Amino acid sequence: MKITGGKVYDPANGINGEVRDLHIVDGKFADNANGATGGREIDATGMIVFPGGVDVHTHVAGGSINFARAMTPEDHRRTQAFIRTQSRRSGLGGMAPTTFATGYLYAGMGFTTVNEAAVPALSARHTHEELSDIPIVDKSSCVLMANNEIMLDLMERGEYDRARDIVAWYVWAAKSYGVKAVNPGGVAAWKYGHDAKGMSTAIPGYNKLTPGDVVTQLARIIDDLGLPHPIHLHCNNLGAPGNVATTLETMKHLEGSRAHIAHMQYHAYGGDDWSTMRSESAQLADYFNAHPNMTTDAGAVLFGDTVTITADGPWQHLLYKLTGRKWGNLDVENETGCGIVPYTYKPSNLVNAVQWAVGLELLLLINDPWRVFLSTDHPNGACFWRYPEIIHLLMSNDFRQACMKKLTPAIKGKITLPEITREYTLYEIATIMSAGPARALGLRQKGNLGVGCDADVVIYEEDKDIERMFGHPRYVLKGGQVVIEEGDIRETPEGREFITRPSYNPDTEAFLKPIFEDCYTMSFENYPVEMERIEHPTMMDCVDVD
Amino acid sequence: MSVIHLVVKEQPSVPLEAECISPDSFAELSNDEIRALRVYHGKRQCRVDDFFDVDGEKSDHIQIHGDVGRVRWLGRAMTRGTLQIYGDVGMHLGAYMKNGRIEVHGNAGDWIGAEMKNGFVHIHGDAGGQIGAAYRGSLRGMKNGTIIVDGTAGIEVGMRMRRGTIVVGGKVRDFAGLQMKGGTLVLLGGAEIRTGAWMTRGTIISLKPIQLMPTFRTSGPMNPMFMNVYARQLGKLGIDLPFDRRSGSYIRHCGDMSIPGKGELFVWQS
Amino acid sequence: MYWGGNPAECHPRHFTKYTLMQKSKFLPRGRKDRTMALVDIRATKSAKAADIFLQVRPGKDFEMITILRAMVKGESIPESQIAETGLSLETLEDLVARMKAAKFGAIFFGMGLSMTRGKHMNSAALLTLAAEMNAFTKFVAMPMRGHGNVTGADVIMRWQTGYPFGISFNRGYPRYNPGEFSTVDVLVRGDCDAAFIIGADPGATMPQPAIDHLAAIPTICLDPHVTHTSKLAKVHITTAPAGIAAPGTGYRMDEIPLPLKPALNSPYPSDEEVVRRINQAIAKMPDWMPEGEPPMVLSQV
Repeated sequence: MKITGGKVYDPANGINGEVRDLHIVDGKFADNANGATGGREIDATGMIVFPGGVDVHTHVAGGSINFARAMTPEDHRRTQAFIRTQSRRSGLGGMAPTTFATGYLYAGMGFTTVNEAAVPALSARHTHEELSDIPIVDKSSCVLMANNEIMLDLMERGEYDRARDIVAWYVWAAKSYGVKAVNPGGVAAWKYGHDAKGMSTAIPGYNKLTPGDVVTQLARIIDDLGLPHPIHLHCNNLGAPGNVATTLETMKHLEGSRAHIAHMQYHAYGGDDWSTMRSESAQLADYFNAHPNMTTDAGAVLFGDTVTITADGPWQHLLYKLTGRKWGNLDVENETGCGIVPYTYKPSNLVNAVQWAVGLELLLLINDPWRVFLSTDHPNGACFWRYPEIIHLLMSNDFRQACMKKLTPAIKGKITLPEITREYTLYEIATIMSAGPARALGLRQKGNLGVGCDADVVIYEEDKDIERMFGHPRYVLKGGQVVIEEGDIRETPEGREFITRPSYNPDTEAFLKPIFEDCYTMSFENYPVEMERIEHPTMMDCVDVD
Repeated sequence: MSVIHLVVKEQPSVPLEAECISPDSFAELSNDEIRALRVYHGKRQCRVDDFFDVDGEKSDHIQIHGDVGRVRWLGRAMTRGTLQIYGDVGMHLGAYMKNGRIEVHGNAGDWIGAEMKNGFVHIHGDAGGQIGAAYRGSLRGMKNGTIIVDGTAGIEVGMRMRRGTIVVGGKVRDFAGLQMKGGTLVLLGGAEIRTGAWMTRGTIISLKPIQLMPTFRTSGPMNPMFMNVYARQLGKLGIDLPFDRRSGSYIRHCGDMSIPGKGELFVWQS
Repeated sequence: MYWGGNPAECHPRHFTKYTLMQKSKFLPRGRKDRTMALVDIRATKSAKAADIFLQVRPGKDFEMITILRAMVKGESIPESQIAETGLSLETLEDLVARMKAAKFGAIFFGMGLSMTRGKHMNSAALLTLAAEMNAFTKFVAMPMRGHGNVTGADVIMRWQTGYPFGISFNRGYPRYNPGEFSTVDVLVRGDCDAAFIIGADPGATMPQPAIDHLAAIPTICLDPHVTHTSKLAKVHITTAPAGIAAPGTGYRMDEIPLPLKPALNSPYPSDEEVVRRINQAIAKMPDWMPEGEPPMVLSQV
């Protein structure tokens, strides 16, 4: 198969809008030196060719999003309905789309890989069942570890090596790809209605272990294990005015390790309370720019209705009290928890206006597009299918300025966005929506149009209307198969799942079993997800991290 | 005034969904076009004239003759005109309606006027539950408008209603005014249990003694001024609301304290 | 707290495995470190296990929970009103004090609550009480499901359709309205002209009009056993019992998926295999949805 004549944006190979032909053999890009390419030819003359989008941080499958679905029938009624056809399953879009619709919506927007960012190991079997019902896109997942009491107990006792083995065991038991840390210590404390806000204060229930210790050790463990994706960290004190101090302190605890800071927007606030809350993205971006060990994703907010879902249980209870709307809470034994609250972001609300600005500011003030990625922390800041709106905001200062006029007048002096004139280029957009997140995830075959990589391509008709252009690609190819053509879903192939198997001391299971049987309600033998339950697993090797 | 007449010729064997039967969609259509409109007999897509004889065209006044107790969504989201039904009618009649009048000379099903924005619905017979209510998961029910039921009604009448008026002549079942947020619910024939449960605001008036939730506070007899206004308005609709202190008084209860809410529940004592 | 449920007889492992007996890091003495309250209309066998038994008058659960919601917020309720529920002010004050003093409260509610007058609103009341208790201490609530893997059906329907039950696909996409599309209501009103029943016995549990309708229409039943439903069905396909002779996944009441490993062999196909083969046969027939004319979406206005 050939794609000819398109303007190619392939940041992984430094190709910036040059007209190139792409050749595809057996689902991968091929060298045409031997003229082996046969099959269909797509004439992309005058069109724009990107590598398929990669979402580094999203919540699309598992117990929490599924709880959110149950909680929001009113949204299902007003949202886009997917009517079944001979080749397509029915479903619903909206704030918490159903699994089949999730695949169609992502692919319809040119995204071909997604990372489910929060999997409790105890219900990983459920997450994988849902992931296998998300068609078209390839998937990876991060297992939640930072509040696992067995690991915390080991860290408290200073048994680092044992803790590392335990983390490795859990990654493999959950058939996961990476490790997610949410509000380290805080979710464990929430089991008793507490939180862990200070990086250097002992976690409630522990004598000396602090959130800072957990962050440092877990980041080091993940590097020592050589997981392709570094620690995927949701910092403590999410959403709170003045939390920039916590975030900076967290980053200091990460020095010397690789790290991915999730949805940084929620961690970049100054002020003392809701009425004085302001953006501190400039301060955060300065620190971040100077520390190349980290990547981040924006967790940008767009105005409108959504449902917030996070393992950060205490924050969600606060949000419930603030909104007086629905609230769901899940506790996952000794591992983690989750809170769900439907929410409406309004430009007239100061806090929301600050949040909206901060997400964009971070994307614009972090100067290396290889280190900051497009995300809304779906569905928390906005639904993923609204990414084209963010791209529009990034590419057009005029549009940003126009949108800022709708913000509450109280915003004056609280954000830096009005002074930022930077506009993203297509090359930079291709970096933050594909090449960058793929590299951060350690998925070398993704976000890259080079020979041997997966032939995931999105082809846009050049259009002055940026949202229309990115929202309605002309073609989307997944693994060399045309899945979207002229706005229609043509094929719905099943996606793959990426999995890593970090090594651990062979006596880990013997060590863990008695502890496990003491504190879990499931038998040890039933706990690990069987490999045959994963649809199309693709093993990814661990890497050497210096 | 031209009227479009629909006469039932074939009873649906499973529920028939016919949101197209509405003044808005008929107003500009010829007789042939109306006959060809799509209705859903279960999953089968059928034509209006598979079930109805259609007489007339291009009008926003519709009369339906015959039992349409299995026909759902009539007058959905209508904004104008009239819909008169001579026979029983099924669920979701006038749901989401914005304006116009619906009159039913027969009984009606559940969800009449659910989440309606405005307009007028009069059921001369009995009605089902969830009148003027919020659909499952929605935070708000009817926003405005008037629903009158001469007969009895089912559960959750006026659930989460925001504004507007519902009057029920006969007895209503449990949870009338559940989680009410505003508006007025007039119960001429009393209610079964849990009336006004969890209400935050709004007014419920009952002319018959009712069993109260334990979380309502009684603040004694009174004849509030606004009752005269209500009485005058409802009088125009043929509803007799007593307000004269010589014939009796209202006992005012407020609640629901469990929220805590600021709703009012008036029970007439002659 | 257990409310309207009798785990001692209906969920016999619940006390020992999950709620009462387990020793743990924060509750090292197991049962001694816990307080159990039982609310029910009569002293069931579970009352023996309880520290406090509150006998609520039948049909007064919703009122009692609503009173508790008010009391938790410091509202005073007249003693005469409380007496209507069969309990005293003192008892409820003691209960509220204990709830607030708990480090972690968990409420489990059974069908004595969720299937009696008030139904879903009774469940809603208890869930709301648990949510509101979090202003004081950690509290959660969870239903005690009646049959095997009801939760699993809920979970999967939710991820595939967005809704747990009561779903109609007649417009080609999922729509939800309990009371309109829930099985018992559809059957009682006679709204369906065929029924396909897997792993359930509505013929034994549903009201007579529903059973009469099942008998009148083509009913197909998949079940390992002869049941009331299979007897009135036009077709009964015997299947292997799930979890005993057919593998799969069972979702526990707290939505934790457990692998089911068959212990026995069965000469009969699994439910899954039968459904798969029926699907394959249907796929060969003309599709019911007319080409090029998708149904209209009935969305919220």
